[in-house]
Amino acid sequence: MGNSRPLSGIRVINLGWVWAGPVAGQTLSFLGAEVLKIESRQRLDMLRTLPPFAEGIPGPDRSLSNHACWAGNGSVSLNLKEKEARDLTLELIAHADVVIENFGPGVMERLDLGYDRLCAVKPDIILFSMPAAGLTGPLSHVRTYGLSLTSLTGLDSVVGYKGGGPIPFENAFVDPLAGIFGAFAVVTALHHRRNTGQGQHVDFSQQEAVMQMMGPAYMDYVLNGRVGGPKSNEHPLGIAAPHSVFPCRGEDRWISIAVQTEVEWAGLVRAMGDPEWARSEEFATARARVAHIDALHAQLAAWTAQQDDRELATLLQRHGVAAAPVLNVGDLLHDPHFAARKTFLEVVHPLGFKETIYGAYVKLSRTPSEVRTGPMIGQDNERAFRGILGMSEERYRDLIARKIIY
Amino acid sequence: MTAAGAGALAGIKVVDFGQMVSAPFCAKLMGDYGADVIKVEPPAGDAARRAGPFPGDVAHPEKSGLYFINNTNKRGVTCDVSVREGRELFARLLRWADILIENHLPRQMRAWNLTFDEVQAINPDLVMISITPFGQTGPYSGWNGYDLNAFHLTGASSRYCGRPGEMPLEHGTFSADYYGAVAGAAWGMAAAFGRGVAGGGQQVDVSCAEAIAASFVGGQNIGLVAQEGRFDKRTGVGMPLGAPATIVPCKDGHVWMLALERGQWEGLCKVMGDPEWARLEMFNDMYVRAQNADIMYSFIEEWTMQHSKMEIMEKCQAAGCPITAVFTIAEAAAQPHLAARDYFVDIDHPDLGRVRNLGAPFKMPASPGGPVRPAPRLGQHNDEVYGGLLSLQSAEIASLRAAAAI
Repeated sequence: MGNSRPLSGIRVINLGWVWAGPVAGQTLSFLGAEVLKIESRQRLDMLRTLPPFAEGIPGPDRSLSNHACWAGNGSVSLNLKEKEARDLTLELIAHADVVIENFGPGVMERLDLGYDRLCAVKPDIILFSMPAAGLTGPLSHVRTYGLSLTSLTGLDSVVGYKGGGPIPFENAFVDPLAGIFGAFAVVTALHHRRNTGQGQHVDFSQQEAVMQMMGPAYMDYVLNGRVGGPKSNEHPLGIAAPHSVFPCRGEDRWISIAVQTEVEWAGLVRAMGDPEWARSEEFATARARVAHIDALHAQLAAWTAQQDDRELATLLQRHGVAAAPVLNVGDLLHDPHFAARKTFLEVVHPLGFKETIYGAYVKLSRTPSEVRTGPMIGQDNERAFRGILGMSEERYRDLIARKIIY
Repeated sequence: MTAAGAGALAGIKVVDFGQMVSAPFCAKLMGDYGADVIKVEPPAGDAARRAGPFPGDVAHPEKSGLYFINNTNKRGVTCDVSVREGRELFARLLRWADILIENHLPRQMRAWNLTFDEVQAINPDLVMISITPFGQTGPYSGWNGYDLNAFHLTGASSRYCGRPGEMPLEHGTFSADYYGAVAGAAWGMAAAFGRGVAGGGQQVDVSCAEAIAASFVGGQNIGLVAQEGRFDKRTGVGMPLGAPATIVPCKDGHVWMLALERGQWEGLCKVMGDPEWARLEMFNDMYVRAQNADIMYSFIEEWTMQHSKMEIMEKCQAAGCPITAVFTIAEAAAQPHLAARDYFVDIDHPDLGRVRNLGAPFKMPASPGGPVRPAPRLGQHNDEVYGGLLSLQSAEIASLRAAAAI
């Protein structure tokens, strides 16, 4: 069995939709699991309708964002409005190890796909539910969007410019993070099943998972009663300076510089040509630099402002300073580091067009991931119904004709 | 095995050779769910012990909040891998372990003779999770870097956070470190779970920058920039194309103002008392509202400034509108919802006393997880681990102490 991907042999039925659930499926797929996403033309997933489309031609199988976020998930089309389709979903689940869903609490029960029902067809099934704020509790039915869910964790309250109010993060950072976190939860449940033979229903509250990122600020609150607010790009614990992004030559060009040790500070001073101001008592120790961080950042910004971000990063790195260019989206495709790691790659979709998606966002040395294109709706129907369920050709055709498989 | 050993990951043995946030949090996730985690620190301790936050801001290596929260359920030993005896001792721990988690720069691991090849020679079945800002390969793998540098290399800040013309922002916490830690846990745990099918151990190479650049920024942007050569940047507004969708101030803080779909907008209008301005044609749908955003937000703010965040959230949620309060960390910690779900746990720590902690990030009813035992004191389990687990004689331990390896 050597050199198969680590989750080979694990089958996942993914009822997840939009972003978080599909990323959980994608991650498990990169790791070797067979992932079948259940969806339907009857109610197109919102992400399939998101522009831009391949070659500028709209269509549910041509959304470029959709393909990148979902690649690795297979697709089985079932119109869950129909009881027969829900029964077929259950039949597939009877042949699966894991079911993923990111509906609101209660939706699975309304689809007659609640955990008890799943156990009846597959006693050791793992049901992974990832609603916004968990399956129980007074806020479990809270309405949020992915990009605003973080407001319930405290995270949004610390994003912004020092001294100002919170600045919104303009997309749902939590969605892919929760999806990847969810993949960890699924593997953990698989391990428990291997140990004990037991499946279970995992209650993954995106709010609670993402609130773990607030650990440092939470501890300052618990230990000192302090309630942190926005502080630009300063160190989250206020123990290092300089620590920010600084302007460089050109429009909206910046460099990140983080100095955490005396050796790094000495390197920075050397790289700047040992300027007079850097010898001031105000900047002599880490504590002093933190105390005078605004003045320090202003001095540094004056030095960086006329320099090229990449050249400056190279220079600073030569002196041992943690510095890197601040990339915009347009830089990502051309950045030599991401190019070398094949972070983004062009693939040919079965419909014939080329599209650029991301590949394995973590690299495995022994069992590299297979990168697939975004799934076409229903691309795995044959295999699922004829193959896994052993359905007759006649019944399969009939279910398609009646738009149960749709 | 202790109480936590009954968790889902019972039987998994982990060596946490990490510092600060990423590797320790990754190992903590495994310890939370029952893995046996041994934290290996240099004699000076994990840098998190010097990072704080400390009660009353008085530094003390056993009272760091960051260390406390990211090292629960672990046993702690000291080992200086830079001396020969220490490296040999570390190798014995690696022979015991299933998973090694580390977050040192690749050049540091080379200096310690602990590259993946060397580690694999010690234990071919070991999964080595390496979490670094840039990763093990590519031109920046030789660079110095921290969380800040990794985050700003992803395009996330340029694209999604900050006002145009002003510096792009990170979240105010160690976002890249946490993201990388979660990715490392998912991929690393899968690699350990699947060693049988994979044919042995392997290196799990996590670049925090790559994980975010790909799965977050890439997902929604890379297709567009590759196909059409254009890309977007931060606007400082939650959603520039639909409105209302941003953070707005209210009487006692801020709310995430979201009312895009017709029903949501009508719900908000009802809660505001059906003001006349809202019936103007310029506010007819989310797109025209976005075109007239400045006027609309000034009207909305007039109303929000007279009401508290909880009042706005509760009334709007009841009216079908996904508006949420922007909680400070204190407010997030005080939510009855999280209390009802037993999210918080109290931990008795020998130096900090009883401290409230964030609990399990997700709930596994058949194999409950979460922090139970406090983070270890420096070298607390040296005798137990070296004497008990590795069966070293006390004379051997004494000579290791004499060689300053412990």
